[in-house]
Amino acid sequence: MPAAPMAIQTAEVRAPILTLHRTKAIKEFDKKHILRRVTSAMQSHGPLLPLRSPWSSPIPLPLRHRTSFPTKPLCLAASSSFTVSDGELESRGFRVRRNPGGLDVAALNEVFARVGFPRRDPERLRRALGHAGEAVVWIEELAGGKPVAFARATGDGVFNAVVWDVVVDPSLQGTGLGKAVMERLVADLRATGVSNIALYAEPRVVGFYRLLGFAADPDGVRGMVLSRKNFQKQRKTR
Amino acid sequence: MHDDDGGDACSADSHRGMLGAGASSGRSPSLPYAVEHTKRSGKVLPLRASFWDSIKSGFLNNNTTQVVEPASNFIEEEDTLAQEIILLESTQSDGTLEQIMFSSAGDVDAYDVQALCDKVGWPRRPLTKIAASLKNSYLVATLHSICRAPGLEENDEKKLIGMARATSDHAFNATIWDVLVDPSYQARFICLNLSDEELVSPLLTGPGYDFLGDMGRGLGKALVEQLIRTLLQRDIGNITLFADNKVVDFYKNLGFEADPEGIKGMFWYPRY
Repeated sequence: MPAAPMAIQTAEVRAPILTLHRTKAIKEFDKKHILRRVTSAMQSHGPLLPLRSPWSSPIPLPLRHRTSFPTKPLCLAASSSFTVSDGELESRGFRVRRNPGGLDVAALNEVFARVGFPRRDPERLRRALGHAGEAVVWIEELAGGKPVAFARATGDGVFNAVVWDVVVDPSLQGTGLGKAVMERLVADLRATGVSNIALYAEPRVVGFYRLLGFAADPDGVRGMVLSRKNFQKQRKTR
Repeated sequence: MHDDDGGDACSADSHRGMLGAGASSGRSPSLPYAVEHTKRSGKVLPLRASFWDSIKSGFLNNNTTQVVEPASNFIEEEDTLAQEIILLESTQSDGTLEQIMFSSAGDVDAYDVQALCDKVGWPRRPLTKIAASLKNSYLVATLHSICRAPGLEENDEKKLIGMARATSDHAFNATIWDVLVDPSYQARFICLNLSDEELVSPLLTGPGYDFLGDMGRGLGKALVEQLIRTLLQRDIGNITLFADNKVVDFYKNLGFEADPEGIKGMFWYPRY
């Protein structure tokens, strides 16, 4: 066993050194879900082979190389492997939106307030949404256009992402909307190649996230938050 | 090469590592870099929404408490923070000047980062992905060693010896990833007993000191601390990270709390 590295490492180390078990699990998941969907997307544009396909080099790269795909494959989002499909949601009067376009910040703040989150400064909220890129999923009530469920993620687009602000309007909680946004957000993140998706969960919703495939403290990794008071205090004790 | 794994519980001794960048007055005018002032602003912190208010699940009932976030967050911190900060300075017996410099400019290329990752023993990641991760990070902080041989002022030798980065939504939250310090800089230098008011001064070494493990923690601590100060100065109110079990104490010593109010960090981990 080599000497342990000297660096002070955060858990992101675990992403490049994903434990064998987690790496294997992620690879299997990809094989089963992501790659199959991408294949069907490719097939709708013609076969992958023979050699002359519209966007690949003369020698087609194997499916494993993500760089050979367009950055946002067409059908990746609309997969039938979600618990509640887009169609089902439509029939219930909801539409799933995969980016912040059209999201009314004031209306979102209303939902935040109704669930007990702090209302956010609208300018800052707009800024945050603008920087989330495609890692925003929300559900729009067709009658009225208001957001009724929402989730967003921040990250570096290649290795890590953290999910924030998962909300469902209290009047619609328990009807599968939270799961709907989360499943799609995770799928979208996975589609861009991000394999390290994290979040912070209050004790009573740990079970909800577990059902979605999240594990608490995997391999002993702990979520930590800076206490400003403690930070200032430790700076003064030098 | 010692076999300290850098993750042992930090004792109070490790605090005597690093210096902030403060100077109470402009001493040592020969220093070419800006040294910023530390000022207590004296502002009163208003009651603000805390981290857990925003984390409380937004999709379970019984969450009707109204919380209002103030329009701006006051920071009990300095008003300006220099982008480049000299942390340490030492003059060798041959006259070579070595400085350790922190920078929040993020001026680093993927090759250097990959080389640093190699040094600490991380598995290789594709260069393009490293470059993308740097580009998409909200803040990339670095430690560089700058060596200047006597009489050769133009030919500074600058080497990347530490890095940390943070992703963010540019408004509310930031998450710190990838904190790295070159292992070979953990076995050098050594005694620092500097308070906030003292400038960087020549290092002292002596038989009584043994900082082999401490220095790496000292440099890592300084790196993360300056990174945090930069984030706070940019008004990012919520600073988070996910820590390997072995380094939880290191971050606790910086002011982080694990599982605040029982809130757990969770990772996507497919099972089927």
